[in-house]
Amino acid sequence: MTDQNGQHLPWHLDLGGGRICLMRGGAGEEMLFLHPAAGAGFWLPFHDLLAARFDVISPDHPGFGESDRLEWIDGMEDLVYFYLDLLDALELEAVHVVGASLGGWLGADLAVHQPARVRSLVMVDPIGLDLPEHPVGDIFGMNPDELREALFLDAELALQFISPEPTLDMLMRAFKEKTSFARLAWNPFCCNPKLHLRLHRVTAPTLVLWGSDDRLVPRAHGERYRELIADARLEIIDGSGHAPLLEQPERTVEAIQRFHESLVGAGVC
Amino acid sequence: MRFFMFHLMPYPYLPDDFDERESAWVTLSNSNYDPVVGTGLYNRYLDELEYAEQLGFDGICVNEHHQNAYGTMPSPNLMAATLVRRTERLQIAIVGNGLPLRDHPLRVAEEVAMLDVISGGRIISGFVRGIGDEYFSMGIDPSTSRERFSEAHDLIIKAWTTEGPFRWVGKHYRLNYVNVWPRPLQQPHPPIWIPAFGSAETMYWAAEHHYTYLSVFAPSRLLKRWFDGYREGARAAGYEAPRDKIGILLPIYVAETDRQAHAEGSQHVTWLYHKGLKHKFEHLFPPGYMTEHSWGRFLQSGLGAYSDVSYEDLVKEGYAVVGSPATVRERLAELAEELGFGLVNALLHIGDMPHDRTIRNMELFAREVMPHFREQSAAA
Repeated sequence: MTDQNGQHLPWHLDLGGGRICLMRGGAGEEMLFLHPAAGAGFWLPFHDLLAARFDVISPDHPGFGESDRLEWIDGMEDLVYFYLDLLDALELEAVHVVGASLGGWLGADLAVHQPARVRSLVMVDPIGLDLPEHPVGDIFGMNPDELREALFLDAELALQFISPEPTLDMLMRAFKEKTSFARLAWNPFCCNPKLHLRLHRVTAPTLVLWGSDDRLVPRAHGERYRELIADARLEIIDGSGHAPLLEQPERTVEAIQRFHESLVGAGVC
Repeated sequence: MRFFMFHLMPYPYLPDDFDERESAWVTLSNSNYDPVVGTGLYNRYLDELEYAEQLGFDGICVNEHHQNAYGTMPSPNLMAATLVRRTERLQIAIVGNGLPLRDHPLRVAEEVAMLDVISGGRIISGFVRGIGDEYFSMGIDPSTSRERFSEAHDLIIKAWTTEGPFRWVGKHYRLNYVNVWPRPLQQPHPPIWIPAFGSAETMYWAAEHHYTYLSVFAPSRLLKRWFDGYREGARAAGYEAPRDKIGILLPIYVAETDRQAHAEGSQHVTWLYHKGLKHKFEHLFPPGYMTEHSWGRFLQSGLGAYSDVSYEDLVKEGYAVVGSPATVRERLAELAEELGFGLVNALLHIGDMPHDRTIRNMELFAREVMPHFREQSAAA
């Protein structure tokens, strides 16, 4: 879905009672990318890197980016059922899944509900687990300076993603996305306290990636995911905070590619 | 004109480095609260409210705020309960119960009905959503605030006006037996007051229900817009909003002369706006607390933090009225003319004001200012 300049054009479908925006690019086996709580609606360098080997499908979750908010979605389980409907609508039986932060939690929950539809699962600094001893930073209460500090290792890069002079449009979009995020993650805060009881249902080969300097979500969450999902691996991405796909796109996508190559080599996929 | 004495019951003893703290809410540690000092404060504040009866006020107001130094009444119904038995004539306005912050709306229906019955029908029942910070302090999802408020309101009103038991099936509350004992004394229910911060939805909603609309701290140019919106909402509902359904919350300080009033009052007004109302922006405006429409309007209104407004501008722009009795009479008349309110919720204890000053302020206001507006109303 590119125009003559190679730009990835968003396209839309009506699903669940609203208009959903989706970007798609590349060729190969289908890979569903699940975005974090911010940054929807953009085709970024890491998308291109993933699209070199996969047919990357990157929807804006309902209530994020350009997608309408769906009133009936007020918890992660609703979002999981939305994505099962989306896979049906796109006639995709099973996909590779890559999810970051909120999207990582969503990917894990998708694999819990319908294990057979997830061919492989990559979670990048996912939230979702309830670890009271290792609390996630209160992202809802942070001001822009605190957000940059919590999310990024590279302060210069942080200024590119969280502008010091936001336009009205940017503020309005942030409000919409934070509102949708609140519906999923205000209370229980950024987790499903029962997720750990269900992760044994995940059958997909799983890779957990963690930014070496994630100041928002403690690495203990990654370690716990690795323990709870059979044969899961945990790899650290050096030189990155909470968002390795933004701070270290090459390194992160290389790790994902190595993971997929190992699966092909092992005859798993 | 009707006059109510409003009290916030602040905890004025802030740490020395308070100006470097982000807020008087959510994160200001309660290690700064000394319960021994609190005993004196609560009882002193209650005395002040009770004294309003002797001075001829129409009523007194208590409200609800959580986990902060600005106002120490997490349960306004408890405060009303102590006041009900110590007053005889006054109306007691609870402005209001923070409906979405309560797990169960029927607790509000029951408690307010109890107070109404005990007081012989002197209760005014305000309903609020609570402010943004309180969604952090109470762990309630702010994006559901509006719908929880709306459903809790509908349930409470129905519980007061419909013979039980009845069944309630809502999104947030589901009950097989709603059958509230006692029923309120005032029929069909106590008057409802709605304090609001300028959201268009709330103005129209309050007008549609014929509820009294109350402003909160803001410059008069914004209050004009809010009250006009309420009047517009009333017209859309097919009636003209009466003045006495429009109320202003106003810090007022009266002393013998203008000079003395400013010399004494500036510190207290400044405490209120620069310390008590010091919020972290992200806490005050959590996601989904406002509709996108109201959020857009707010961003374009250019309204900054209270702490950025100097004392001179607070007075000039109508955030507070300070002066001699003549000045206060004049300024209040001017504001009433400009804004069209018929109800004044006078905040006569302001910030860190000591007891003797509060009492003198109340006396001067009751004796030198209020009668002027009563006569005017009588003449009209």
